[in-house]
Amino acid sequence: MDVDFALTAFLTGWLAATVRLAGPLLLAALGELFAERAGVLNIGIEGVMLLGALVAWWAAWSTGSLWLGMLGGMAAGLTAGGFLGFMYVTAQASQVVVGVIFNIFALGLASYAYRLILGGASGAQTAVMFSVLPIPVLSEIPFLGPILFRHTPLVYLTALAAAVAWFVLRRTAFGLNLRAVGENPRAADTAGLDVTAYRYAGVLISCVAAGAAGAYLVLAQVGQFRETVVSGQGFIALAIVIFGRWDPLRATIAALIFGAADALQLTLQIFTSGVPPQLLLALPYLVTILAMSGLIGKADQPESLMVPYSRE
Amino acid sequence: MRILERRAAPAEGAAASALSTALAVLAALAAGGLLFLPFGADPFSAYAALFGESFLTWRGLGFTLLKAAPLILIGLGTVVAWRTGFGFLGFEGCVMIGAAAATWVALMVREGQILAGLPFAAFLPLAILASLIAGGLWSGIVGLFKSRFGGNEVITSLMMNYVALLLVQYLVSGPLREPGGLPQSPRLPRETWLPQLFDGMRANAGILIALAAALVVWGLLLRSRIGYEMVVTGLNPRAARFGGVEVGRRQFMAACLAGGLAAMAGMVEVLGLHHRLIDGMSGGVGFVGMVAALLGKLHPLGVVIAATLYAGMTVGADAMQRQAGLPSSIVFMIQSLIVLFILAGEFFRRYRLRLPGRRTASAGEGV
Repeated sequence: MDVDFALTAFLTGWLAATVRLAGPLLLAALGELFAERAGVLNIGIEGVMLLGALVAWWAAWSTGSLWLGMLGGMAAGLTAGGFLGFMYVTAQASQVVVGVIFNIFALGLASYAYRLILGGASGAQTAVMFSVLPIPVLSEIPFLGPILFRHTPLVYLTALAAAVAWFVLRRTAFGLNLRAVGENPRAADTAGLDVTAYRYAGVLISCVAAGAAGAYLVLAQVGQFRETVVSGQGFIALAIVIFGRWDPLRATIAALIFGAADALQLTLQIFTSGVPPQLLLALPYLVTILAMSGLIGKADQPESLMVPYSRE
Repeated sequence: MRILERRAAPAEGAAASALSTALAVLAALAAGGLLFLPFGADPFSAYAALFGESFLTWRGLGFTLLKAAPLILIGLGTVVAWRTGFGFLGFEGCVMIGAAAATWVALMVREGQILAGLPFAAFLPLAILASLIAGGLWSGIVGLFKSRFGGNEVITSLMMNYVALLLVQYLVSGPLREPGGLPQSPRLPRETWLPQLFDGMRANAGILIALAAALVVWGLLLRSRIGYEMVVTGLNPRAARFGGVEVGRRQFMAACLAGGLAAMAGMVEVLGLHHRLIDGMSGGVGFVGMVAALLGKLHPLGVVIAATLYAGMTVGADAMQRQAGLPSSIVFMIQSLIVLFILAGEFFRRYRLRLPGRRTASAGEGV
């Protein structure tokens, strides 16, 4: 009986943490999905998340408003998206190169701006944070309640965003056209679609989502800004998109798997076990590598991913 | 009215390329200069201090060369990979793998271990070989996926970085951990440290290793048949295949060589600077090395110059932060802005600005 109780407590704690940690990853991945479906591999979301985190922290700290913080993060994403869109789509520079360099730039910019904002203030400044909003009735369900329905509003909104993303990509003309542009831009152009506009749309959506994901990290998980607040989570979102094979619902499952691995190693650090935590942490990366290796069939990536399009 | 006009043909040639690079550097320095203002610093004296410290003082120059060595090696790896059309981003991981391999060999030179008493002249080739092989195998996995199975090297190599970081984290918290201490390996025996170039100067033999590697890469890539085939593969794999080049094999070679070079950077960091294996010690150097390679126009000689410049800026930034309290992040922004501006400049080689009042012959056709 006691063993059962301990096991249930462990599972509940682990799975609830899984959902909590998967949230920002999924939000960033959902946005990236739109960029990649339009044919742009936006590696820059790592840096955009960091800028979103910074502006969200600043807005929430100085105004005391959570939702202004969220908006600030998204505005930062939008601004970065305008720049990245110009580089990817208009200047037609190598998407990989631009993304990688933008991430370095964003790290410098965030650290510079943070010092400028703090000025003389010493010590870490904590912003207001989202509190847990249990959903009435549902959160009382044994076992499932605490796992799924006792979270911050951002978790529920992210779940909603996944459903919306699925609907938009699968059931609207915009989604269909966006996918057409990513598969065969020349044909889409011939059919009268504005390839440039759809690619900009994909990049902007991905950057706004990444900005929101950065805000999410600060406002629901950390409460402060640090240069290490993102540290690789944007890259994990890239992996989630691929692991989820460019589909919002499969990406949700992928995000939960990544979240579960992360949560498990946190839990296992409390218990002592023979398994090195690094192995658990490496598993999702190893699976992504395997998925992208070509060994298990070609991953069905958008046909013209990473290929700039110009008319002649 | 449109203010941008497409050029009939892109502005090609060395002059246009040099001009756009020079303009990009100037624009980045100007933008960076503005960043000093909120801190009440004069941009000109800040730049003078920045470059003066890192290139014109004996001590600063030593640090610059110390930092330049790994950047050059990573930059060379970038040149080899990217010019062969292998979009490898896994340098950060290869640095860690090379560092781990060098540490492993160096720890065997300790008292009571199998290589105890090994002279440095024998140890160094062994350490180079170990890091080359370890890094080459590591990136070779990605190369094999790409050349054999058509995998996507961009994403796989990014993911391999994390696996490498975690692997080293495991090593320094388990098998290679210094008893009792922080998660790091024991200090390497002094006999395995890279010797300093001159007394009282921090620069060590690492820079010589990097320069030798630059010479080898230059000879291989630009003066040999294999190198020619690699470059052709990068320019147009389909044409290369028709021309009888074994594209897959050349890309696999490029992958192994690129990883091996980056791993040597890790070796230089361990034997020349940290003298032990530390969790997360690469700290982004793998990415900065790629940026330096781009500034060096993916040419081995250009890489040496650009990497040294970037190393000097990093050293100057540290000094600036220590002495004047200016944030060193300004310099990292300038470093990345230079290359971003170069890339944006490509746009202006295809388009020209049409300003009001400067009518051209084709002015009538615009919408």
